[in-house]
Amino acid sequence: MTARDVRSALLAAPVPDELDARRRTWAVVKAAYAEREPVRRPRRLRLLVALAVLAALVAAALSPPGRAVGDWIRDRVAGKEETEPALFRLPAAGQLLVVSESGPWLVRPDGSKRLLGAYDDASFSPSARFVVATRGRRVVALEPDGDPRWSVTKPLPVADARWAPSPGFRVAYRAGETLRIVAGDGTGDRLLAEDVAAVEPAWQPLEGSTVLAYADDVGRVHVVDVDGDELWSADPGGAPAKLVWSPDGGILLVVTDGVRHPLYRQGGRRAGALRTPAAHAVLDAEFAPGSRHVAYSAYDADGGKGLVVLGDERLQRVEGRINDLAFSPDGRWLLAGWPEADQFLFLRLPGVGRIVAVDDVRREFDPGGPGLGEFPQISGWCCASPD
Amino acid sequence: MAGAGRDERARVRAAQAGSVADLEELFRAHWGRAYRAAYLVVHDSAAAEDVAQEAFLAAVRNLDRFDAARPFGPWLHRIVVNRAIDWSRARSLRREVGAGDAIDEAAAPESGAPAAPLSGDIVAALASLSPDHRAVIVLRYVLEYSPGEIARMLELPRGTVNSRLRRGLDALQGVVEVEEPE
Repeated sequence: MTARDVRSALLAAPVPDELDARRRTWAVVKAAYAEREPVRRPRRLRLLVALAVLAALVAAALSPPGRAVGDWIRDRVAGKEETEPALFRLPAAGQLLVVSESGPWLVRPDGSKRLLGAYDDASFSPSARFVVATRGRRVVALEPDGDPRWSVTKPLPVADARWAPSPGFRVAYRAGETLRIVAGDGTGDRLLAEDVAAVEPAWQPLEGSTVLAYADDVGRVHVVDVDGDELWSADPGGAPAKLVWSPDGGILLVVTDGVRHPLYRQGGRRAGALRTPAAHAVLDAEFAPGSRHVAYSAYDADGGKGLVVLGDERLQRVEGRINDLAFSPDGRWLLAGWPEADQFLFLRLPGVGRIVAVDDVRREFDPGGPGLGEFPQISGWCCASPD
Repeated sequence: MAGAGRDERARVRAAQAGSVADLEELFRAHWGRAYRAAYLVVHDSAAAEDVAQEAFLAAVRNLDRFDAARPFGPWLHRIVVNRAIDWSRARSLRREVGAGDAIDEAAAPESGAPAAPLSGDIVAALASLSPDHRAVIVLRYVLEYSPGEIARMLELPRGTVNSRLRRGLDALQGVVEVEEPE
C-alpha cells in the first residue's frame, strides 16, 4: 500500500455529523459576518496626505524644539494605544483582566489585549468601566486604554485596591497594615482600620452597598459599613486567606488555611462551612454567578496534584496547581490558570462539556521577552457589556 | 489550479466588500476538509465542530485584514490544526471529568454510511498517535501540504516534521504498508 492509499483511506473515512455541523456553523458564521464592521481602507489621497504630514513631523522633529513634539508623538503611537494581536478568543462575553510581570492586561472578547501600564495588581471597577491598579505606594484609577484618571500616593506600600459595587463611589485598599478608603473620583482618602492582614478586602456585591469585609492581623474577620460602624466580626478558626461574598450578598465565605471554611449569613450567623479535601490547600474560590455554589481550586503539595471543584462535582484534576479561577459573566465558563502547563483552561459548564486550552500564557503576556517569569494572575472576567 | 486560485482571490475580495454569497462559496469550498482535518486530530465530532467553527469565525473577524493575494486555505487550515492540537492536548490531560459521552468512538461509522474497512483501521491507528503526530499526518495526507509547508504552518523545524511523519507512518504500518513520504 502506498501513501496515496493512506490519503484515500483518510479521505474516505466517515466523519460523523458533518452535514449538521456544517449547517449549524454556517448559521453562526453568517451571523458573525453580518455583525462585522469592515475596516475602512485608506484611499490614495488619504495616504498621500498622511505621508505629507509624516514628512513634516520628521522635519520638525529634527529641530531641537521638535524633539519634544516627537517624543509626544512616539508616546501616542508606540505606547499603550497599541493593541496586541489576538491570541485567543474568549468563549463568552466580557473582558478579562490578567496581571503579568509586565503589568495588567485587558483582554477583549476577540482576544486582542492591551497592557495598561507597569502595575503590580489590578481589579475592575463595576461594569469594567475602569481598572484600579497599584504599584509601590501609588493607587491609580485607569481608563480602559490605560490612561490614568486619578491617583493617590501614600507613604506605605499599597495593595489590593478593590472598587465598591455600582455606582462605584468608593475604593478600598491596603496601605502597609492599614485599610483605607478613597472616593471613586480619587478624593477623600481616609483611614478605615488598622492592624489588617494581607488579605484583599471584599465588598458586599449589592447595588450601592457600603459594606466591606476584611481580616485583621490576628485572624478575625470584620464586616463594616464604611460610612458607619462595624456590623459584626467572627473568628473563622483558621487564618483567613480569602473573603468571598455570594452574588446575592447573603453569604460570606471565609477561605482559611485549613479544610473547613466557614460561611456566614447577615449579622455573622454561621451557615455551615465549605469542607475541602484533607491535605489540600485552597488556592482560590469563587461563587458561581447567580448562585450559591462555590468553585474552588485546591492543591496537594505532597502528591503534586491540583483539583478544581464546583459544588459537589470534581471538574478537573491536574498535575501541579490551578492558581486562579474566574467565571465568565454568564456563568457558562470557568477559567483556570495552570502554571505548570503554562496554560489557561476555559472549562465549559456544566460538567466540563468542553475545554478550550490556551498555550504559552507566560510568553503571551510577556511581549518581546522570554516568557520565563511568574505565571500571570487572572484578576477578573467582567461584564457582558460595559456601561 | 491557477484559475481556481484566481476565483478564490476574487471571492475573498468580494466577501471583504460585503458579499455574503461569496463568503458562503468560500465556506462551502473549505468546510469539508477543515471539519475532516479537525475530526481526524481530535476524534470527537462536537470538538471538531467547535474547532472548525472557531477557525471560520476567526476568518470572518480578520477578513478585512486578510491579504487577498494569499491563498485562503493554508491560513484557515493552520488555525484548524493548531486549535485541534490544543484541544487534544487539554483533553488528554483530563483525569476525572465525566465528559465521556461527548466522545465519539474513533471513526465509528454512522448508520447508513458504510466506509471502506481500511479507513476505519487507519483512523483507529491514527487515534493511537499523539495529537502532534496526528496533526502532521493530517496536514500531509488529508490537506496535502508538503513537509516544508507543514513546518511553516506549525512553526516547527522541517526535520521535526519529517520525523513525525515517519513515526506516524510507522505506527500505521501495523495496519498497512506505506511507502516513505518523500
